[in-house]
Amino acid sequence: MSTKGTKIPDWLTVPFAGITPAPSQDKGQNLFPTGNWRAIRPVYRDKLPPCNNACGTNEKIQGYLDLVKRGKYLDAYALIKEDMPFPSVTGRVCYHPCEQACNRGKYDEAISIRAVERFLGDLGQALTNDVVKPGKPNGKKVAVVGSGPAGHSAAYQLARLGYKVTILEKSPKAGGLNRGGIPDWVLPQNVLDREIERLVQLGIEIKTNCEVGKDVSWDDLKKNYDACVLAVGLTEPNSIRAEGENKADVLYGLPFLRDIGMGTSKVKIGARVAVIGGGNTAIDCAREALRQGALEVTMITVESHPEEMPCVAEDLHDMLEEGVELIHGRAVTSILGNGKVESLQLHPARFSGAVNASPINIDRTAKPESFVVDNVIIAVGQHASLAWLPQEFKNERGTVKMDRFGRLGDTNFFAAGDIAQFGSGQPLMVVNAVGDGKRVAFNLDKALRGEALQPRTIAIDVIMDLNRMNMTYFPHFPRVHQALLNPITRKKTQDEVIQGFSEEQAIEEANRCFSCGTCNACDNCYLVCPEPCIARPARSNGLYKILVDYCKGCRVCIEECPTGCLEGVPELDFDTGVVRMDTAFAITPGLHGRQAQELVNLSTRPAKDI
Amino acid sequence: MATIEVQRQILPILANPNQGARFYNPELPQSEPFVPGHRTCAGCGPSIQYRMTSKASGDNTILVGPTGCMYVANSSYLCTPYNVPWAHTQIGSAGSFTAGVAAAYEALIRKGKWKGQYPNIICEAGDGSASDIGLASISGALYRNHDCLIICYDNEQYANTGIQASSRTPYGGMTTFSPPGPEVPEGKKLFPKDLARMMAAGHPHCYVATASVGYPIDLMNKVRKGLNHKGAAYLMVYTPCQKGFVYETPRSIDLGRMVVECGLYPMWEWTPEKRAFDYSFRPASIRPVSEYLKLQGRFGHLHAEHIANLQKFANEQWRMVGVELPEALIKAADPKNQINMAAAAEAEVVAETV
Repeated sequence: MSTKGTKIPDWLTVPFAGITPAPSQDKGQNLFPTGNWRAIRPVYRDKLPPCNNACGTNEKIQGYLDLVKRGKYLDAYALIKEDMPFPSVTGRVCYHPCEQACNRGKYDEAISIRAVERFLGDLGQALTNDVVKPGKPNGKKVAVVGSGPAGHSAAYQLARLGYKVTILEKSPKAGGLNRGGIPDWVLPQNVLDREIERLVQLGIEIKTNCEVGKDVSWDDLKKNYDACVLAVGLTEPNSIRAEGENKADVLYGLPFLRDIGMGTSKVKIGARVAVIGGGNTAIDCAREALRQGALEVTMITVESHPEEMPCVAEDLHDMLEEGVELIHGRAVTSILGNGKVESLQLHPARFSGAVNASPINIDRTAKPESFVVDNVIIAVGQHASLAWLPQEFKNERGTVKMDRFGRLGDTNFFAAGDIAQFGSGQPLMVVNAVGDGKRVAFNLDKALRGEALQPRTIAIDVIMDLNRMNMTYFPHFPRVHQALLNPITRKKTQDEVIQGFSEEQAIEEANRCFSCGTCNACDNCYLVCPEPCIARPARSNGLYKILVDYCKGCRVCIEECPTGCLEGVPELDFDTGVVRMDTAFAITPGLHGRQAQELVNLSTRPAKDI
Repeated sequence: MATIEVQRQILPILANPNQGARFYNPELPQSEPFVPGHRTCAGCGPSIQYRMTSKASGDNTILVGPTGCMYVANSSYLCTPYNVPWAHTQIGSAGSFTAGVAAAYEALIRKGKWKGQYPNIICEAGDGSASDIGLASISGALYRNHDCLIICYDNEQYANTGIQASSRTPYGGMTTFSPPGPEVPEGKKLFPKDLARMMAAGHPHCYVATASVGYPIDLMNKVRKGLNHKGAAYLMVYTPCQKGFVYETPRSIDLGRMVVECGLYPMWEWTPEKRAFDYSFRPASIRPVSEYLKLQGRFGHLHAEHIANLQKFANEQWRMVGVELPEALIKAADPKNQINMAAAAEAEVVAETV
């Protein structure tokens, strides 16, 4: 092309001189920065996977499943340990709200997250030294009252923050509900012992047989420690207010399990046992009664249908497999017998409201049914025992009076776990208590450092929805099921019912994870870009970058991103990386660039000039 | 004078690393012979193909670009986005130019005038060049079995000049040469030329395959197989054209999958050693053609009987590759059923193959 006789500005002479600048692999053909074609810019933004959101302690579930996929088990274990002090315990006992929330559940079957967590927890148990180290000592002392899930979690997080933590436990063995409320055939004692050992390795002192109000007073706590976490849990069983309930051999659910767990039980279970209640503790009691020698176990619930029972469906299924009978829509009105329990009197009943905890309407006009039993176990919930708590910190309902951060007045006392969450609408489950313990530990740290506290509920980010992901890339694949012991033989032993995953099974199950809303370095955007204007220094999660000088905004990458971590944002929302040109040639910003600069300077100009 | 033997490159086939349900692409080659800074339209299908092809072939590659989109849009104003040698040739001389490059390198190496490995020689012809104007020269290059890979990036029209019908334009496709009207309501009346089968039948010593941008790893592997094949190879790649097909740009890869799932673009390989077609490729699901048609403005004018005609055509393709036809597809080939089916839920996945 001849340029003779044409007046060409200096900055346009290069391509016409017959010297075609060679493109480079890093910079591309920079004579054509085609970024000014773009109306919508793709942006990488990781969103919250529904499992992470649903988890009571917001474990980074997608994160550790992704690490398991790559065979990085130790990293995965370390990632769980950020939020969860005892994955080997929750891997066995958790009611897995993550699996209910799993997007894969809407596609084929939810990921067996709990089983993978247990696999990693057991891996962590086998390590000689734990991956978690105590924080740099800051010289402050904190007492944690109670060593159940919330206390364990708070003590663990505080030790990681550098506090000198002392746990006060009233029982002879630490573990709280994890030991006393969960039977051995769900959680073997040695697993829990190992997790308690880990706490001691973090430098936490555990004082057993030390009950607040008896061995330690409120003033002692105030005097001897800089701060205190109260995680005493709900220890006192609720009564059913039936006649004759004061008989000596009427058993209550949690004390029944606790005594067996602590090895101090003197109860001799007869052939026919009735369990009153329809929750998780009632189910555990019924199954434990079988293992203690009962031949016929019947569960009596006010709920009119198994689906209404406030329990984990899997556990209910396993219980029914073991041969426990259900009687629905009945309430026990009196416990009959001469000195000891001989039979129960049942009346039809239903809840007066929609919630299981609402008052019960008993139809006393109906003819009572008699039900012959040798033992009765009452498991209809618990309440807190707060006699030691100063009156100023009790509210009108008899529970702890605290602010939304869990803090008692302006003291350095915090309540955590079931005593704080009871009545708040949060489920009273192990994982929720762990999450509460964690958040209270962080708030306690903030309070001692004089920073603003954060609410105990988490901030909601964008939760990834299945519709925003590209399902073309995910074949249907069945869930890997955990092996169970035979119901005929298992109901006579204390052997663990649910078996763990092998390494192959754990990988196979983790492979099913969609990584909802999070980059997992699948390289698909990098592969399908027509320019190609997606660069990555190395193939790793979240290292992908859009070269905004060239991206034309075709959005193929957004459409083809399997996990949906790419999203389109209108170009007008940006003030960086915007390519503005008069023509395809201009290397200078041109008219649009000058306008943009004027807009930037607008605020500095006096009002009369505008 | 002792002749020096030609050293050829052997490119490894990309293996699928996925176990179970995981989706994770294989490790891709580092080299990037096709770089950003070109003026193809946003979401350009041929550009996706060009990039994948050149990435698969690597840095020791020579590209030949006969006239077409990938010449005009990529190499305007004397600058190109290629990191490897590239040459333009006339639209009719794609095959002869490529044959010349291949023969020249063979001779130079044989005589010791070129040290190093024999380059991967790839001709990127559009369907206008490969199917109409340059058909004779490409056939010649294949017949003489020069060691090169000739790719037809099939965007089913002359898109560079503003969407004119080519012999690869499908039945019913609207172009400026086949506008629908009262006399010819379907737009294009003729069914497309079966170009790849013609090349396989006419040059049975060549590696011939069809591919689609919807299956990137499959496409890159077919490019590598073609380059590894000693002798001429021919590849026909489905590359959607946003301007001509009139669709939303993000759908480029999706259309590449959809056309295969609807049976309008059967994927196969001709293995010259066995003198046989390999029909083992199966898409994840099978769909009626209406699923593919409704994404594109160029088919917006079609009546029920035209959609049924296309379904009949697709059914024949399914039979050819040995797929047992689902009942829904046989029904869809009847115009009476098409009227009810057009918006019905039936027009979703009709069969899963995996």
